[in-house]
Amino acid sequence: MARFIERRLEPADSPLAIIASTAAAFLAAMLITAFLFRSYGASPLQAYFALFHEPFATLRGFGYALVRASPLGLIALGTIVSWRSGFSYLGFEGCFVIGATATAWLALLTAPGGRIGSRIGPLPFVLFLALAILLGFAAGGAWAGWVALVRARFGGNEVLISLMSNYVAIFFLQYLVSGPLRAPGSLPETPLLPRATWLPFILRGTRAHAGILIAIAAAGLVWMLLQKMPLGYELIVTGFNPSAARYAGIDVGRRLAIAAFFAGGLGALAGLVEVLGSQHRLMDGISGGVGFAGIIVALLARLNPLAVIPTALLYGGMSVGADAMQRRVSIPSSITFILQSLAVLFVLAFDALRYYKITPSVFWRRAPEVAAEQVSK
Amino acid sequence: MKNTLEMRNIVKRFPGVLANNRVNLTIQSGEIHALVGENGAGKSTLMQILYGFHAMDSGEIFIDGERVHLASPKDAIARGIGMVHQEFMLVRPFSVAENTVLGLRPGGGPLLDLHKASARLRDLSNRHGLALDPEARVGSLPIGVQQRVEILKLLYRDTRLLILDEPTAVLTPQEKDRLFSILRRLREDGCSVVIVTHKLSEIMELADRATVMRDGLVVATRAIGSTSERELTQLMVGREVNLRAEKSGRVRGEPVLQIEDLRVEDESGLEKVRGLTLDVHAGEILGIAGVDGNGQSELAEAIMHLREIKAGRVLLRGAEVTTLSVARHRAVGISYVPADRRHVGSVTAMTVADNAVLGQQRKHAGRFFRSIRGARSSAQALVSRFGIRGSGIEGAAGKLSGGNLQKLILGREITRGSAALIVEQPTRGLDVGAVESIWRELLLAREEGKAILLISAELEELLNLANRIAVMFEGRIMGIVDAAEASVEQIGLMMAGIAPGGTAGMASPSKEARHGEIH
Repeated sequence: MARFIERRLEPADSPLAIIASTAAAFLAAMLITAFLFRSYGASPLQAYFALFHEPFATLRGFGYALVRASPLGLIALGTIVSWRSGFSYLGFEGCFVIGATATAWLALLTAPGGRIGSRIGPLPFVLFLALAILLGFAAGGAWAGWVALVRARFGGNEVLISLMSNYVAIFFLQYLVSGPLRAPGSLPETPLLPRATWLPFILRGTRAHAGILIAIAAAGLVWMLLQKMPLGYELIVTGFNPSAARYAGIDVGRRLAIAAFFAGGLGALAGLVEVLGSQHRLMDGISGGVGFAGIIVALLARLNPLAVIPTALLYGGMSVGADAMQRRVSIPSSITFILQSLAVLFVLAFDALRYYKITPSVFWRRAPEVAAEQVSK
Repeated sequence: MKNTLEMRNIVKRFPGVLANNRVNLTIQSGEIHALVGENGAGKSTLMQILYGFHAMDSGEIFIDGERVHLASPKDAIARGIGMVHQEFMLVRPFSVAENTVLGLRPGGGPLLDLHKASARLRDLSNRHGLALDPEARVGSLPIGVQQRVEILKLLYRDTRLLILDEPTAVLTPQEKDRLFSILRRLREDGCSVVIVTHKLSEIMELADRATVMRDGLVVATRAIGSTSERELTQLMVGREVNLRAEKSGRVRGEPVLQIEDLRVEDESGLEKVRGLTLDVHAGEILGIAGVDGNGQSELAEAIMHLREIKAGRVLLRGAEVTTLSVARHRAVGISYVPADRRHVGSVTAMTVADNAVLGQQRKHAGRFFRSIRGARSSAQALVSRFGIRGSGIEGAAGKLSGGNLQKLILGREITRGSAALIVEQPTRGLDVGAVESIWRELLLAREEGKAILLISAELEELLNLANRIAVMFEGRIMGIVDAAEASVEQIGLMMAGIAPGGTAGMASPSKEARHGEIH
């Protein structure tokens, strides 16, 4: 007899099943958060309207959503490259800082008053950007790469080391902005970078800048690497099964180092985008947790590079909407973070649902009889 | 005769699979009953229902005429049903007595009374001829003795019906004989034994009756006296099977793979291969016999340089390859089919097509991009040439059955065109139909002139396929025999560390390995 709910031997893995379980997770998170809204005496419908109207139905808000989405997306892409290669890197906060620092340093160096800039004159923007990307990527890659070397050579735990390396980078930044790179004034920050080094704004009347284009291009490249290139195949094999990788003649240690280099480089690009597109200077606390929020975006996107940009936009948009919600219906914007966290928990937990099969038709159709013929006695 | 157990009309569905379709099974008291069938026939499901692991959808179970409900293994044990799993459930640093009382409260009070338990264990062990010392540490006992600890555990819990899942898979011929005599003695003492297996020769030797399952149905129940191995095979597979391999008339060629005085250590620094020398010639299968854990895996891994080599050389067609990288080994022409097909030989989370190019991913690629189409077409070629059945080349390799996955791995390694092929435990856990086709492919590869090193714990496999059989014991070759003249007894003695000629060689079992047994 077919039953209404049955346990499967293997989880359903069709795209439809995955989308359905993800959607169910978001709805459950929103439902629970709705009760929190009620406890503030606000209508959940009004609150959700405020949360989504600002970032996705106003031009200004959408611009801010794009600004938030760019670094989130780049860090999510770094997470995907490292995690799918079996390298549990958590040091993106540090990579962000290293990338931001390298970029700001280069911008100040080549500025009209800078040590190089005053000698050869300002660089053309395209040349500067290419240089900044190369420098930032290399610096972030090296920053993450040494963690991979420690793991490959000495068997160190990359989770702990990378987590701790965040603090090293952050304190290094604090030293720079309160010492060598400090602008005259009371705040620990560098001078404003020259306008010629800023990323161009791409939507008139908003703060949206070309950083989102860098993120989109990076998403395409990461997808190409993992899906279409032999190196990506080797990275994925290494991530799924290091024993099989070694058996197949893949140098696991070297692949881990490559994955860490790419991951760190992408994390550093997030810092570059933030400095050149949004802050236009280097300051203490510039990362503000985006190195961890980006990991959350990667998880919500299920480590699929093509899903990263929409997810980052949704996640970044919700952060923008949170402020609007606080203004319009006076609900603390931190509730949004509860909503985002619940969404992650449920997306991960709801994978268990894919182990079950629902057969609604048992209620209106007679189940086919079990074939019961004994072949022979 | 009285029925100990009766299972009536057992039905168990998993989505998309009818694992047990109105199955009836009767076990009489004091009989050894074999439950046979290919992988996926439903015999494990049936036993797991009996042991309380799975809930059945419908059906009834009677023990000694009384209808029972078995919701968990605890219920089953309380009813006198016990199971020896293929993987032993033993705590290696604990003694036999400690392992036996695990989860029980001997003495009733809050304190553990091991002396009382030991006394009873010694008594049980003597009564049933198990020859076990309750004080011995389990980790130091040979596999065959560990299996007896599992049996003792069940007897201590007053088990009357013992279920043994593939009990002979890891035993030497001598250990197997010992197990069979213990089981016969248990039968005389009135216990019932169910053996789940697909080795028909052993059933013919041991069992009283056999129940054959196929596709979730019981096909037949036969008294062993009135059936034959041939009939059981036919019932099991549903067609005629030919497992007799044709010996090649071909003369063996030049030595292709040469191993000279090889020394290899395992992770804990223990020397597992101790100065081993072998030649494998073109067009021959050199079999390596031996009980698992005598250095066979380390040997195979060392040849591929997946494991560090302490001393010695490996040569391919006269050229030294000892310290080349794994990738270079593959490139110069050594292929390897590892024993662990799900954790080493394949990436189960990836598709069949992706697995078909594992190890050759750089060959199936242009300057920058993978040739996805090339991977697909070579996967398709493997699927059709080796008859791999599954959900197609875009399905996950992990969803293939063991036999089909092994065909995929073996096919991939054979078609690479290498001169030497190392194959480790190629048919472990596979059913008769899959064994037949794996053997055929290995013989074809020999006909093509490959030099094949076949490592197997199955003597029948080696006697059928190999030209010469080298017996490995504690990292050394005890002797090499011509397969055509070899006898099971002779090889079995060498597997136990006794050199040909009757004297125990220098590699006799250590004191430690023996002290669990009372002689």
